[in-house]
Amino acid sequence: MRKTLSKIAIGIESTAHTAGVGLITSEGKILSNQRALYVPKEGGIHPREAANHHSEKLPDLFKSALEEAKLTPTDISLVSYARGPGLGPCLRTGATAARAFAYYHDIPLLGVNHCVAHLEIGILEGATDPVLLYLSGANTQVIAYAAGRYRVFGETIDIGIGNGLDKFAREVGMGFPGGPKLEKIAEGDVLLDLPYSVKGMDLAFSGLMTAAKQKLDSGHSLASVAYSIQETAFAMSCEVSERALAHTGKKELVLGGGVACNSRLREMADIMTKERGVKCFVPERALCVDNGVMIAWLGLQMMGADYNITEKDNEVDQKYRTDMVEVTWR
Amino acid sequence: MEIKYRGAEAIVETGQWLGRKVIFKTRNKRGYRHPILEKRLVKERLRSESRIIERLISHGVNVPAIYGVDISNNCIIMEFIDGITLEKALRGNDFEQYLAQTAKLLSLLHSLTVVHGDPTTSNFMVTDSVYVIDFGLSTVSDDNEARASDLRVFLESLDSHHSEISGRDIFLSYYSEWSSSALVLEALKVLELRGRYNLMRG
Ligand SMILES: Nc1ncnc2c1ncn2[C@@H]1O[C@H](COP(=O)(O)OP(=O)(O)O)[C@@H](O)[C@H]1O
Ligand SMILES: [Mg+2]
Repeated sequence: MRKTLSKIAIGIESTAHTAGVGLITSEGKILSNQRALYVPKEGGIHPREAANHHSEKLPDLFKSALEEAKLTPTDISLVSYARGPGLGPCLRTGATAARAFAYYHDIPLLGVNHCVAHLEIGILEGATDPVLLYLSGANTQVIAYAAGRYRVFGETIDIGIGNGLDKFAREVGMGFPGGPKLEKIAEGDVLLDLPYSVKGMDLAFSGLMTAAKQKLDSGHSLASVAYSIQETAFAMSCEVSERALAHTGKKELVLGGGVACNSRLREMADIMTKERGVKCFVPERALCVDNGVMIAWLGLQMMGADYNITEKDNEVDQKYRTDMVEVTWR
Repeated sequence: MEIKYRGAEAIVETGQWLGRKVIFKTRNKRGYRHPILEKRLVKERLRSESRIIERLISHGVNVPAIYGVDISNNCIIMEFIDGITLEKALRGNDFEQYLAQTAKLLSLLHSLTVVHGDPTTSNFMVTDSVYVIDFGLSTVSDDNEARASDLRVFLESLDSHHSEISGRDIFLSYYSEWSSSALVLEALKVLELRGRYNLMRG
């Protein structure tokens, strides 16, 4: 029972490094996608520093999003924000900004699941019932729809792939974010022997990153170590997606998350799906990374299916699991 | 030969071999994988699958008999199990009985120091009784954490695909009939706490 009237939603993303504000119509037309990335001065993410960054940037992001879309708040019929999962301080900052905007302009407010939003972007790209390979900093999951929920079929049992890449990059003195920097220097054709850790549809990266560091220390070039990390970690990721496709019998793959911006990963996923006779949907990079558009889009999907907003829907939940969301809109 | 099934990593065909109905399980090349990695994985998995099946057969476990291994074509020829996957069987009325048999089968594997590595509901076959197949990711180990990881894979495939039935409790209660199961169940708790039940995002 989709409502037919065109609606516009604003989405606020702030689960980790990215503060984002996006605007999209219920037909799927993206009107603006504004983002600001928090870069830690040293080490990994500091949740409070990141939250400060977001609260500083969000007002400007709201403003530039509305300007780019040539809209005023009265044109907007839904404020959607990422309720979780994510870092507490970051989530609260995003939710506070969303609440303030919604209350001030008297617009309905809805907190949505960040991971599900990554998947729904694949549906915007034309997929109907996909398996999502979701590779970001903290999250590494294979997700698909089954019996009323999006379910996690496989995931990392230690660290997220992106955090693994970032940590390795940091240890060898490269800045944040490490993934794209490693991609740039990755070169070679000789594969170094690194642990390939696939357990059913689950995977593990921590042993791989440790072994990679040892290869470097034992004299292999950074370029060839980076190359071998990519070849191994991405092949593992493609294999678990393939296993999920086989297990569920689904015929579509969607890529999501920041690491899905990597060209070699995209190439591997493309080959894998072609070999299996499965369709591959690769959202443009600005929609793979964390962004406000996907948050707005998911909010619209839920409202389009007459979702009933309750008090819970303006809270945050750091551990908001993918399979806690009851999928009523499909 | 007819293509029966395209599995997670192999093509499975049925055919005749010395007058018997058999399965040809061929690990075909993955174009996305670096050739060196590809070669390493395929050889490792082919070898470990055939060795572990032999080991289980010698203990009378319900696994398909191996008739031959064609190393150059990455193909294993094995007994055809004339049934349906557990995946399908669990949709019927007898799911409790199948879950019980599967739990006992997995604990038997574990007691024989075999860790399956991928015990999803697609990797058990149901005929008059339950068979276990697909040992490509299997290892010989008595590590309780590795065993717990098997339980987790199974429960997850149950949870994600058969969420309408509360199979978890049934499965674990039969698994715990094995005398050494306590430490595995303990390890399972730790594993689940570390995993998705304790998301530390950032
Ligand atoms: N011995 C067998 N008898 C009957 N069917 C089989 C047998 N082995 C495999 N199959 C069928 O083929 C599918 C894939 O085989 P499997 O060994 O699990 O390969 P993969 O590693 O590709 O998943 C199984 O799910 C099952 O339906
Ligand atoms: Mg299988």
